Amino acid sequence: MPFGITMGDASGVGPEILLRAYHANLLANDVFAYGDAAILAAGAKLLELDISLNVIQQPSELIPGTLNVVDLDCLTSEDLTPGKVNRKAGAAARNYVLRATADALAGKIRAIVTLPMNKEATRLSDPTFCGHTELIAAACDTDNFTLMLATPEVVCTHVSTHVSMEESIARCKTDRVLNVITLTHDTLQRFIPNPRIAVCGLNAHAGENGLFGMQDLEEIKPAVDQARINGIDAEGPLPGDTTFYLAVHQDRYDGIVCQYHDQGHAPMKLLAFESGVNVTAGLPIIRTSVDHGTAFDIAWQGKAFTDGLTHAIDYARKLASD
Amino acid sequence: MNTTRPLPRIGIVQGDACGIGPELLSKLLEHEEIHERAQLLVISDKRVFDAGSAVSEIKANIKVISAAADIRFSPGHPQLLDTRCLDPQHITPGEVSIEAGRAVLKTFGLALDLAEAGTLDGICFMPFNKGAMHMAGIGTEDELTWAKQRLGITSRASEFNVIKGMWNARVTSHIPLKEVAGRLSIPHIVEAILLADQTLKKAGYANPRIAVAALNPHAGDGGAIGREEIDIIQPAVIEAQQHQVNVTGPFPSDTLYLKVRDGHYDCALSMYHDQGQIAIKLLGFDQGVSVLGGLPIPIATPAHGTAFDIVGTNRANVQPALNALRIVSAMASDQPHRFA
Repeated sequence: MPFGITMGDASGVGPEILLRAYHANLLANDVFAYGDAAILAAGAKLLELDISLNVIQQPSELIPGTLNVVDLDCLTSEDLTPGKVNRKAGAAARNYVLRATADALAGKIRAIVTLPMNKEATRLSDPTFCGHTELIAAACDTDNFTLMLATPEVVCTHVSTHVSMEESIARCKTDRVLNVITLTHDTLQRFIPNPRIAVCGLNAHAGENGLFGMQDLEEIKPAVDQARINGIDAEGPLPGDTTFYLAVHQDRYDGIVCQYHDQGHAPMKLLAFESGVNVTAGLPIIRTSVDHGTAFDIAWQGKAFTDGLTHAIDYARKLASD
Repeated sequence: MNTTRPLPRIGIVQGDACGIGPELLSKLLEHEEIHERAQLLVISDKRVFDAGSAVSEIKANIKVISAAADIRFSPGHPQLLDTRCLDPQHITPGEVSIEAGRAVLKTFGLALDLAEAGTLDGICFMPFNKGAMHMAGIGTEDELTWAKQRLGITSRASEFNVIKGMWNARVTSHIPLKEVAGRLSIPHIVEAILLADQTLKKAGYANPRIAVAALNPHAGDGGAIGREEIDIIQPAVIEAQQHQVNVTGPFPSDTLYLKVRDGHYDCALSMYHDQGQIAIKLLGFDQGVSVLGGLPIPIATPAHGTAFDIVGTNRANVQPALNALRIVSAMASDQPHRFA
């Protein structure tokens, strides 16, 4: 079964990266796109890339040696407006994702790999739109999901992300921590039989037995204990400043559960600023994504990195391995 | 380096005798270049020093003296001030010992007294064991606070972590994360920035580039997820800039350390313990150096601990201790220069 890439907002770097990755022979024959053929054709011309497009209706119709596109037919070549917030492009990007998610749920593709949407553009036609991942989760009829940052060596998840430090301390609660441990474990279990999960403490030195804060003992430890009762190889709370070192340099853990945004994002960026992949944990389908946005400022200029897409495809392949 | 001026007089303290400190002493003295950077006084029990030399299999050429009155600094002629405070027969290598803790306080205290008396220009100590020091009755949270009290310093002093030209200091340290925001204030942060500036200048950075970390993710996203950046950190940075300090920020901490690593800044100032420690440990800080800044004399120590698991095996790597000695020598020199 093939892997589907959604090309993302036409004004951003998504379709450009798709075309350039294909042209550089970075896409295998079982990888195809969801998008607009008119944009890809006009974009290839703009980038002066010689690309043979093949428009298909179903993933089963792939022809090797071409860039296969399930053409949602939302846009024309006129709609290729690099770097501009475009209502039609925003709405189209939403359609690619919904179609790909439906195909994944129907078992027609093994995974979806998404290129960036532009929140502002999509909101022009869908004011309720609050995020790419939320859109996919809603289409999958779930609200229990979490972002997982992945590198080949280690993955990390967060008990809270885009909230103030004060709020993230308030969100460090046993049930939340246990839920994130479970989501992390279940996702890794797709390709690791018994993943080793490290759970970071909230405070310095993981609280030093209550000396530097009580959440580590009162909220995090009970979650780790319960996860172990549930059969998960979880360990913690561990000092946040040594956990990544142990995972990466001593291969001690497969996954790390962090308590707040920077506890995970900072080390992950130091480890893999350009090779990081985003995975949505908790969905009934496999979804990976590049670790960047639409980058309107450099879109369609031939500058955007294509590596993120190949890493995201590689990771989807790993998650889909039988 | 101007060789016509006298080299700085540096005291090397033995460290916890149950750890790798004693082995490192003779390894340090073996490096000839260090004698071109400083005049050295080792402060140790001779029996502990000899036990370390037996492990390292290095016979150091050092003159033993038994009283501070006999100290005579001379380049290339290190002295060992025998403190007679610990018989190695009474301790077990690799195990926490109250006697070793007492010897640490005795030797480090002596070094601080010599510095206060004007006999030493800087101190480099081998790893301490916090547990042993607490058992021995240090009575304060750590050696920095203990040194401050002994020297009668009430102004800000701070530990800097240094690795490969990257420096990091913290505004808050060993406190609950929940209390961090409450401890941040404009004067407090300004003070920390100024101390970083002074300390790096002593370490030979003519115009240190200091980057200040934000507290909240994405530096608060314009106030949407936290206001400390707008209300406290940003005003502190602006105030410090008015003191002619080359400081910028606040920056989101998930990209700040990439910029420090890539050489855009010399020093990062973190708001809480793990913010800086996560990054620098990942960047290899176990091979780095800790510098105590804000004291009348510079003090440095290798960042690694007592390494109880490898004591006596002669596997201890002397490079971090050597770097600590180089940094403290550079900082104690009357002509500041970068150590490398």
